[in-house]
Amino acid sequence: MIINGVIIDETFAEAFPMKGTRLIITALNAKWAMISAQAFTGFATSVIACGCEAGIERELDPSETPDGRPGVSILIFAMGGKSLAKQVETRSGQCVLTSPTSALFSGLEGETEIALGQNLRYFGDGFQISKMIDGKRYWRIPVMDGEFLTQEKTGVQAAVGGGNFLVLAESQAQALAACEAAIVEMRKCPNVIMPFPGGVVRSGSKVGSKFKALNASTNDAFCPTLKGQTNSDLSPEVESVMEIVIDGLTKEDIDKAMKVGIQAVCDLGAANGIRRISAGNYGGKLGPFHFHLQEIMA
Amino acid sequence: MSALTFTLNTTAKQRIDCSPLTPDLLAEQSLTDIAAIELVIGNATERVDSLFNLSGDDASEIQFVNSTDKLDFIGHNMTTGSITVKGNVGAYLGIFLDGGQIEVTGNTDVYTACEMKSGQIKINGNAGDFIGGARPGRRNGMTGGTVIITGNTGARTGDHMRRGMILIEGNAGDYCAARMISGTIAVLGDVGSHLGLGMKRGTVLLNQMPSQGITANFNDCGAHTLAFLPLLITSFRQLDSKFATIDTYSRIQRYAGDLAGIGMGEILVKI
Repeated sequence: MIINGVIIDETFAEAFPMKGTRLIITALNAKWAMISAQAFTGFATSVIACGCEAGIERELDPSETPDGRPGVSILIFAMGGKSLAKQVETRSGQCVLTSPTSALFSGLEGETEIALGQNLRYFGDGFQISKMIDGKRYWRIPVMDGEFLTQEKTGVQAAVGGGNFLVLAESQAQALAACEAAIVEMRKCPNVIMPFPGGVVRSGSKVGSKFKALNASTNDAFCPTLKGQTNSDLSPEVESVMEIVIDGLTKEDIDKAMKVGIQAVCDLGAANGIRRISAGNYGGKLGPFHFHLQEIMA
Repeated sequence: MSALTFTLNTTAKQRIDCSPLTPDLLAEQSLTDIAAIELVIGNATERVDSLFNLSGDDASEIQFVNSTDKLDFIGHNMTTGSITVKGNVGAYLGIFLDGGQIEVTGNTDVYTACEMKSGQIKINGNAGDFIGGARPGRRNGMTGGTVIITGNTGARTGDHMRRGMILIEGNAGDYCAARMISGTIAVLGDVGSHLGLGMKRGTVLLNQMPSQGITANFNDCGAHTLAFLPLLITSFRQLDSKFATIDTYSRIQRYAGDLAGIGMGEILVKI
């Protein structure tokens, strides 16, 4: 398949099941809601070392938030419910509770629930106040700038992590420009995040390493400087490869995000140095979710 | 199907225990069976059909017509359906209510919503003393649900109240929120003396400063903007009440008490 001069490989991205939740952070203004959300989703690029993958889904208008203030919607994913609960609790406590004027709400009615403010309330040292509103329990925790309001629990649902595609370009600048264009469009899609810095990964990995301590290492087949040293998957004219990783609440959400992202890259086309779109997989052995590029773009 | 209607056909001289007449207990029963139910009246019992004219057949929707303040225990232990009362009712309306809805067009006597667990009671009139309270000797009043009173309430509203919400569109009597353990009482009108006496936790939300002021057992914590108030007020929108129409606000004067006890209760006065 070729779109605007860009080859779409006959391959698939391989993704795996995760658990996910959506949280809503509000604040006195959009600036501070975003600061808190950025802190919460910091160092959450990959479950390999961060314990979770998290990102900002979108900014919320005051009319869309529970308390009528500006807000930010974030998605957080982990390999299981317990690890998700741990990450939500520690990040909420260190990044949202501490952030001036913030409040924290659940943004998902899930199959099961995990603690949100349920344990943070003890920071109130006995002065915390519980309020049941519309069947949901909230905690009011006195803090130095007033009160921190948080919902007691948030829903969790089965989710999908590790959707991806690779952008193969003639230069680093062209690969980056294409990925930036893709991210702009993909961020308009609901229920997905691209957890890596700016949504883009330059260090895609393969499973395993020659070093025993590591279970992942550089994806040498797509490293342009190794074209003459390894079993490279790159043609001579490809000088840079970048990856976009997508986590979503459902497979369909990732399908849609990949389609608009790849389309945005293809719109730039061969004229802008984009040669191929490929994807990372492990022969279908790692995850049950397969995103076939040509089917998505058909 | 039409609502199962009990029209009082006598001038009751003794109190009538109406606790057997709930949607839960009357479901699947024929009119003949219902007519034969014995109700306690004073120290005797009488058949339902000797006190009420019966009509209708839908036991999930019960009406009491021509009701008086002698009818006690209406909605006792009810978990589903609805009861509508036209006229005044006696004591213990909605005691142990655990679901469903009760609406009264008239006044209620003491212990309305006593130890209620969930559901909703709306009183289009005034309520007596101890609304949402605990039975004498008991330590927990209502533990959930919502009670709306369009008129005034008597003394000791929310006595020992543990959870849930009481919304008073008129005035609340003396000792409002006394010995309150938790939950929310909101009053649009005035409040009597000794507000929050012995209050442990919970929130009293006032639309205006009480004419008798705040008692010395509560300390002024200052003026604040509280983020939970817009959520709470927005939750009122779905109610058939004046509370559904009040403008959202978050700015209040906060008083904490009763400082003679653990002092974790709060009175919030809109400013």
